[in-house]
Amino acid sequence: MLSFYSLPLFFLSLAGLLHAKSSDGDSVLVLVENAHKKDFSLFFDDLKEQGYSLTFRAPKDEKPAVVEYDVPAFSHIIILASESKNFAKDITPQSLVEIVSGGTNLLIGLSPKQTPLSSLAAEFSLVLPPPGTPLISFFPERKDPVSVIPIDASLPSTILPAMSPVWFSGVPFAHGNNPRLVPILHAPAESFAADSQGGADVLVDATEKGGEGLWAGSQLSVASGFQAAGGARVTWLGGVDMLSDKFFKKQVSKAKSGNARFAREVSAWTFQESLVLRIDSTTHHLVNSTTPEEHYTTNDNIVFTAHISRFHPKTATWEPYSGIKDLQLEFTMLDPHIRTALPAVAGSPGTYSVTFRAPDRHGVFKFVVDYKRKGWTHLHSSTTVALVPPRHDGYPRFLSAAWPYYAGAISTSVAFFVFSAAWLAGESREGKKAKGGKAQ
Amino acid sequence: MPTAFPLPSDLSPATVTNTASLLRIVALSLISGAAIASRLFAVINFESIIHEFDPWFNYRATRVLASKGFYEFWNWFDPTAWYPLGRVVGGTVYPGLMATSGVIYNFLHALNLPVDIRNICVMLAPGFSALTAWATYMFTKELKDESAGLLAAAFIGIVPGYISRSVAGSYDNEAIAIFLLMFTFFCWIKALKLGSALFGTLAAVFYFYMVAAWGGYVFITNMIPLHGLVLILMGRFSSRLYVAYSSWYAIGTLSSMQVPFVGFQPVSTSEHMAALGVFGLLQIVAFTQLVRSHVSSKQFQDLLFLALVTVGLLGFVGVVGLTYKGVIAPWTGRFYSLWDTGYAKKHIPIIASVSEHQPTAWPSFFMDLQFLIFLFPAGVVLCFHQLRDEHVFVIIYAAMASYFAGVMVRLMLTLTPVVCVASAVAFSSLLDTYLDAAEPAEAADDASETASASGSNSGSKKAKKATASAATPGSALGDIVAAATPAKKGEKVKGIFGLDTRLAIIVNAFGMLAFFVFHCTWATANAYSSPSVVLASTNPDGSQHIIDDFREAYYWLRQNTPETAVVMSWWDYGYQIAGMADRPTLVDNNTWNNTHIATVGKAMSSSEEVAYPILRKHDVDYVLVIFGGLLGYSGDDINKFLWMVRIAQGVWPEEIQEPNYFTPQGEYRVDDKASTAMKNSLMYKMSYYRFAELFGGGQATDRVRQQQVPKIGPTLDYLDEAYTTENWIVRIYEVRKEDLLGRDLKSANAFAKGKKRKRSKPVSRRRAIVN
Repeated sequence: MLSFYSLPLFFLSLAGLLHAKSSDGDSVLVLVENAHKKDFSLFFDDLKEQGYSLTFRAPKDEKPAVVEYDVPAFSHIIILASESKNFAKDITPQSLVEIVSGGTNLLIGLSPKQTPLSSLAAEFSLVLPPPGTPLISFFPERKDPVSVIPIDASLPSTILPAMSPVWFSGVPFAHGNNPRLVPILHAPAESFAADSQGGADVLVDATEKGGEGLWAGSQLSVASGFQAAGGARVTWLGGVDMLSDKFFKKQVSKAKSGNARFAREVSAWTFQESLVLRIDSTTHHLVNSTTPEEHYTTNDNIVFTAHISRFHPKTATWEPYSGIKDLQLEFTMLDPHIRTALPAVAGSPGTYSVTFRAPDRHGVFKFVVDYKRKGWTHLHSSTTVALVPPRHDGYPRFLSAAWPYYAGAISTSVAFFVFSAAWLAGESREGKKAKGGKAQ
Repeated sequence: MPTAFPLPSDLSPATVTNTASLLRIVALSLISGAAIASRLFAVINFESIIHEFDPWFNYRATRVLASKGFYEFWNWFDPTAWYPLGRVVGGTVYPGLMATSGVIYNFLHALNLPVDIRNICVMLAPGFSALTAWATYMFTKELKDESAGLLAAAFIGIVPGYISRSVAGSYDNEAIAIFLLMFTFFCWIKALKLGSALFGTLAAVFYFYMVAAWGGYVFITNMIPLHGLVLILMGRFSSRLYVAYSSWYAIGTLSSMQVPFVGFQPVSTSEHMAALGVFGLLQIVAFTQLVRSHVSSKQFQDLLFLALVTVGLLGFVGVVGLTYKGVIAPWTGRFYSLWDTGYAKKHIPIIASVSEHQPTAWPSFFMDLQFLIFLFPAGVVLCFHQLRDEHVFVIIYAAMASYFAGVMVRLMLTLTPVVCVASAVAFSSLLDTYLDAAEPAEAADDASETASASGSNSGSKKAKKATASAATPGSALGDIVAAATPAKKGEKVKGIFGLDTRLAIIVNAFGMLAFFVFHCTWATANAYSSPSVVLASTNPDGSQHIIDDFREAYYWLRQNTPETAVVMSWWDYGYQIAGMADRPTLVDNNTWNNTHIATVGKAMSSSEEVAYPILRKHDVDYVLVIFGGLLGYSGDDINKFLWMVRIAQGVWPEEIQEPNYFTPQGEYRVDDKASTAMKNSLMYKMSYYRFAELFGGGQATDRVRQQQVPKIGPTLDYLDEAYTTENWIVRIYEVRKEDLLGRDLKSANAFAKGKKRKRSKPVSRRRAIVN
C-alpha cells in the first residue's frame, strides 16, 4: 500500500553528483550560433569552473541529438540562439516541452524578433509584446541606447540575492495566470516595450487610450523562472545579452555590473543547484509502535514523519534540512479530513513529524504532503492507507451503561430457571388443569 | 369389486409399501440428477465460469473466506470497492452463501479432495437445486401425499423460473435461498401440524440460515406471521399455533440478529414489525384463552372487549410514535416500490434502473412456468377444498407471491415454488382420480374414493381433530366435509367409467408433462445458460462463435496497469472489474451510496472539462465503457446512459438535465442530429471516439440504435484511448495527468498538434486612467 512518490529525477542523477554541483547532472548542451560563441566566453568559463561539461551545437546542426532513444541526452540545455528563425528538426516548441517533461532544465533567451521560441513562451504562460518592441527606458539618463537598461537588483528575492544593477537589453514579458511562474527580475517601473525607433510616441498614444494595452511598468519581467510539474526548471531571459561578456564587463555608475553574479545565480537555480529540496522518505505508524501498518483503525493515534533534505551545491551533497516552517500534512479522502502543521522535530535535523488522531470515518485515506513555494522545489508525497472500522472484537466488551440490559437478561434467565424448577417439582392439580393444554 | 383394468391381487401390503418407498427414493434421486444435469448447460456450452455480475463479488468474497478464514472475512474491509470510500464487506453482506461454500471447501479439503474454490462456487447452485427438490417434496407431502410431493419435486427441479437463477455458475444468494425458503416453510408447516417446539426451532434455525443468506428472508418474516394472523382470524387459534410460532419467532429473531448486516433491524424496522405484532397478539390470545377458562362468559366478554381495544390502541400508537421518533425505521424505498410500481421511477432512479426490478411482462410467466401457470389456480382451488392450516398457508403464499411476481421480475423466483407445489397438488389429484382402477358403478360406498377427495380421507380426519381442539369449528371446513362426503344412495352415481376415458385424460396429461420437459430443456439451454461474461453468436455455417471481449478487457487491465490504478465504469461492471481485473473501482453493483453513483453519472454525462476535475479528485486512472454499436450488443452504456443522466440529475438538478440529452423532437439520437449535451458528454465521446474511422470513409452505422454516426467523430483532450477489445464492446481510456506546464489539457493538446495559439494581451492589473 505504500507508494512513495518522489521526484524521480533526483535518483536518476545520483551518478552525476560526484563531479557536478548540480543535483541534476552536469551535461549541458548550448545552442548558440558559431559566430556568437565567443560573445559568451565568460559565462561559459564560469559554468565550466562550476563543473559543468558544455557541448556546443549550432541551431541548425543535427548533432548531437537532444533526445537519444527517447531519453534526453543532456541534463540542461541553454538556448542562446535567440534570433534563429530555423532550428534543426529536433528542436521545435513541441519537442522542447517533451524534453522538459523528461526532466531536462532549460535556460532560454528571447529576442524582440518573432521566433519559434516566442510561440513556446506562450505555452509557459508568458505574454510577449508584439514583435519588434524591445524594452526601452529613458531613465536613468545615460549614454547607452535607450534599449540598453541597467535594472536595479538591490532588493533580494528568493532566487536572487541583493546585487549591483544588471544590464539588460531585450524584450519584457507579462506573466499569465500560472502559479508555476517565478519572477526573477522585474522590468524597471519607468520602462516600457516599444519600437526603439518610434521613441516616446507610443507613450503618447497609450496615454490617450488611458494606458490600455501599454506594455510597461514593473509588473513586466525580464527574467522569469518556471517550475514544470515533473520537477524540471525553465528560465526565460528577455535577452541573451545579459549573459554576454560585454554586459559582464560593462560598468554601472562606476561600479562593476551585476550581470556576472546574475548569470551565476540564475544558472544555479535553473540547473537545480539552489533551492532544491527532496522528501527522502515518509513513514507512518501507531503512537506506540515503530512499524507502519497496512491499515489503521478509526480513531487511532497515528504518527506521520517525513524526512526532507536540501541539496548543498558547495559540497554536492544532500543534507537534512529543518528550515521549512510552514509544512503541512493532509489526511485526505476526497477532501482533507485533517489538515495540520507538520513541524520540524527539534534535535533531529530534516525530520518533520506530527501525531494526530485519525477521523472517525472509514475509507481509503492518503497522507498528503504538498509543499509548493515559489523558487523552491515543489514537494509532493502521497501515501495511501486504508482506515478501517474496529474489528468485531475491537469494541469494548462490557459497558457500564448496558447494565440494565445485563440485569434484564440475567433476571429473565434466573426467573426461567426458577419457574422451570417450580413447574417440574410442584405437583399441584390446579396447574395441570389450567396449563395442561399448553404443554402438549 | 370391478376394476377398469386388472390389478395384481397377490401382493402383501408390506410389499406394496416397500416397493412404493423404493420407487420414491429412486424417483427422488432421478429428480435430483435431472435438476443438477439440466443446470449444466452453461458449463458444457461455455465453460466453468462465474456468471453475470453479483456472483463475481460473491466469488471474490468466497475466495477471501476460503483463504483467510471466517474471522478475517467478517472483518474484511475492502479498500478497492467504492474507492475511496471503501466497503466494510463483513458488515454489508449476507454471508450465508460464502460460508456455505467455505464449509464445503474445507470439508472437501479435510478429505484430501483438492477441489478448486471456483468449481465449488460454480456447482453450488445445481447442488442446492437438488436439495430444493427434496425440500419441495417434503413440503408438498405435508399438503397432500407422496405422489404430489414427487411431482412437485420434479416440477421445481426443472422449471425455468427457478433454473434462471440457479444454473451452474450463477453463484448468487438465490442459489441456496430457495432451498432454505422451502425447508423453512416445511418446518413451519410441520411444527404447526404437530405443535412441536422441535420443528419450530428447526424452522427458526433454517430461518436464521436464510437470513444469513438472502435479503429475501423478509418474505418469510412476513409470510409466517401472516399465516398465523389469518389462522387466528379464522378462529383457528390453537396451542399448536402458539408453540410453533413462539418458538420460531423467539429463536429465529434472536438468531437473525446475530448476522452483522441485519443487526437490530428485526426490532427496529417496519418490515419486521408484523412478526413482532403477531407474536404479541398470540400472547394476548393465549392469555385470553387462559382467562376465559377461569371467569364466566359475561365477564369475559366485557373484559375481552376492553382489553382488545386498549391493547390494540396502545400497540398502534406505540408503533406510530416510535416510527415518528425514528426508533423504528420507516419502510425502505425498495419496499415502497413493491406497492407502487411507479414509485421507484419517481423517487429512486437507481432502483428503477435495475432491469430485474421492472414489472414482469406477461409472456415471461409462460416462459418461466409453462403449463404450471394454468394448473396453479386449480391447485389453489383444491387447497380451498381441504383448507387445513397448511392449505391456508399455501393459499396465502400463492396470493402474495403472485402479486410480487407481477410487480418485480426477480420475485418470479419466490412465486415459482408455490406454483410447483399447487400445480403438483392439482396434477396429482387428476392422476389419482384417473389412475384409480376402481369402477364407481356398483357400490355407492366406493364412490367416496373418487373426485377430488381421494387420498384426503386421513387428512380430513386429522383436520377434524384439529378443528375440534380449536375454539370454534371452521364452518367452511364443515361445508367441504359435507361436500366431500358423497351423495347418498338414490342419486345418480358419479365417477369414471371404463378404460378409454381414463386413457384419454392420462395421455393428455402425460403429453403436457412431456411438452413441459421439452420446454424446460429448451428454455434452459437457450435463454438461461448464458454467462453474460462470455457472449455467443452463430457463424453463417451454424457453428458457435464466442465473443470474449469482457474478459479480454479485464485481463488487459490486470496485466497492463499498476495494481492501484483506479478504474471508473458504470456500476454494472464494478464487481466484474474487481473480480476479474482486480483493480479498485469507483462504484459497483452494491448500490448503497447514491451520491457516489451520481458522481460517476455526472462525470459520464458532462463535458470533458467538467468531468476531468471529478476524475482527478477520485484518482481515476482508467475509464471503462461498454459499447455495442459495432456488434449490435444492445446492453451497452449508451443504452443505459439515460439512467446515468437521471441519477446524476437527482443529485445535481441544476447541472444535469435529462431533456438536454434528447433532440428538440424528443428523440434519443446519437447521429449528427444528437443534442449538444449528448455530443459533448464523456460517454458519447468515449463510445464513438474513432468509431467512424473503422468504416474507412464509408457511412458509419451504429448497429444497436440503427443510426448513422457522423463521419467526423468526437475528439478527446483529457483522455487517451488505452485499449479497445476485438469487437469494440469494451473500450478503456486512460485519464491524462495534469499538464506539465499547468495549462488546461485542451490547449496543451492543441499545442502538441502544432496549432497556433491566439496572441494574448497582458492581464490588465490596474484600472485605466481616465484623463
